[in-house]
Amino acid sequence: MRLPDFQYVAPQSIGEACLFLKDHGRESKILAGGTDLLPSMKQRIFRPSYLVHIHDIPEMSQIRFDEQLGLRIGALVKLHTLERHPLIIERYPMISQAAAEVGSVQIREMASLGGNLSVDSRCYYYNQSYFWRKCKPICIKMGGETCNAIGGGKRCFAAFCGDLAPPLIALGAKIKLLSTKGERILSLSDFYTGDGAKPLAIEPDEVLAEVRVPVLSPNKAFGTYLKYRIRRSIDFPLASVAAVLTLDAKEQACQEVKVVIGAVGTKPEEVKTIGELLKGRRLEDPIIEEASELAFQAAKPIANQGSTPSYRKRMIKILTAKALKRGLRELA
Amino acid sequence: MKDTVTLQINGENYELLIEPKKTLLEVLREDLGLTGTKEVCDFGTCGACTVLLDNRPVLSCLTLAVSCRGKKITTIEGLKKGETLHPLQSSFIERGAIQCGMCTPGMILSAKALLDENPHPTEFEVRKAISGNLCRCTGYVKIVEAILAIPQGVMKGELKESSKP
Repeated sequence: MRLPDFQYVAPQSIGEACLFLKDHGRESKILAGGTDLLPSMKQRIFRPSYLVHIHDIPEMSQIRFDEQLGLRIGALVKLHTLERHPLIIERYPMISQAAAEVGSVQIREMASLGGNLSVDSRCYYYNQSYFWRKCKPICIKMGGETCNAIGGGKRCFAAFCGDLAPPLIALGAKIKLLSTKGERILSLSDFYTGDGAKPLAIEPDEVLAEVRVPVLSPNKAFGTYLKYRIRRSIDFPLASVAAVLTLDAKEQACQEVKVVIGAVGTKPEEVKTIGELLKGRRLEDPIIEEASELAFQAAKPIANQGSTPSYRKRMIKILTAKALKRGLRELA
Repeated sequence: MKDTVTLQINGENYELLIEPKKTLLEVLREDLGLTGTKEVCDFGTCGACTVLLDNRPVLSCLTLAVSCRGKKITTIEGLKKGETLHPLQSSFIERGAIQCGMCTPGMILSAKALLDENPHPTEFEVRKAISGNLCRCTGYVKIVEAILAIPQGVMKGELKESSKP
């Protein structure tokens, strides 16, 4: 498969990139690792006039930690680096574990954190070659009026399947977007619109520059990311759960529980009812069962990925229970 | 609009005039005749196009050639020293780890990246390291054995003399 023609632009700084996007953002795509964008371009899903290749920009490739601001990770940090960085392994091991789950060794060497958070939403009827797609009506995500996944569907249900989003949302992460207009900080959960056709709340002239994770509670906190997929490598998740458990130091009851489910909807979503249910309660089997049932109810997969929607919902329930039990084991 | 770029491949410099849309895989195979690196899925999902970029395994089908300036590229052709095969190459041949051979260059380079960092991996670590390289022929057993069979000292430069291909 050949790539389509494009003009190649390689800015040397974020400033240069923003300046270019101010005038050409609408006909451009930002290229970082290329492991999501280039396959889509090979399928002619995207044909940008300009590819703005941000790579080797030092200001976007740093990992810093301090007790005030917490963890700050540049958007160009590779997943391979996140997997192995001693600071991340020591303070936020769930981020390292989630990064290790993405794709394959080679993909992790190329892929960036920002790219994984901005990965395009997915659907069996969308992620196909030009030849395949032209046999069906143009779908809503491609700018048409029909949904090929759901007959009579009036909006796009393409699933958001990025692996780093659920754990980072569960950790309360924020992101920094930059443009010539200045900077915009928003919580990572607000970055995802829930619209399969336009899944990210980013403007054409903006660049995702940094991810900020707050300092974890001084009480004991433990995070787990679990991913269901058919093969143990390469595949995107078909269902995923990130759970961050903070226990009260004395009572061993839950001070705070954040469970975020992914790949079973158009955006990664915190199951807030679980947080409410478990606040102040001790984690025991019956209440874990209740919490995992709430996750099951919140999952809304449709038949546009592998496996079946029913199996993926049931896996959300199982993974939620597993994640909570693992957290309890580690903290107790 | 073509761009000039000098690529350092297997220790040699190649000056090229290429379009930005050419992937490293296309340049290796079509412009340079280095057909050891294989095109299989051309999509980032099989690992057959794996090359080492600054000693790390990457997918050349998803790498733009123009972005490789100043980086050290190693392909399967770069492994042997003169007429002597790399220990991994000999091990694969001796243990029957090669059937059609399409996955082999990528497998060997992924294995080399592992062993350069971790000379004595467990079987689990070997399987994890090659989990981005798919093989449709062998069932992986012989491939894993061939990688595990490389003794610790060999990767550190004490190449053993081996038979020619």
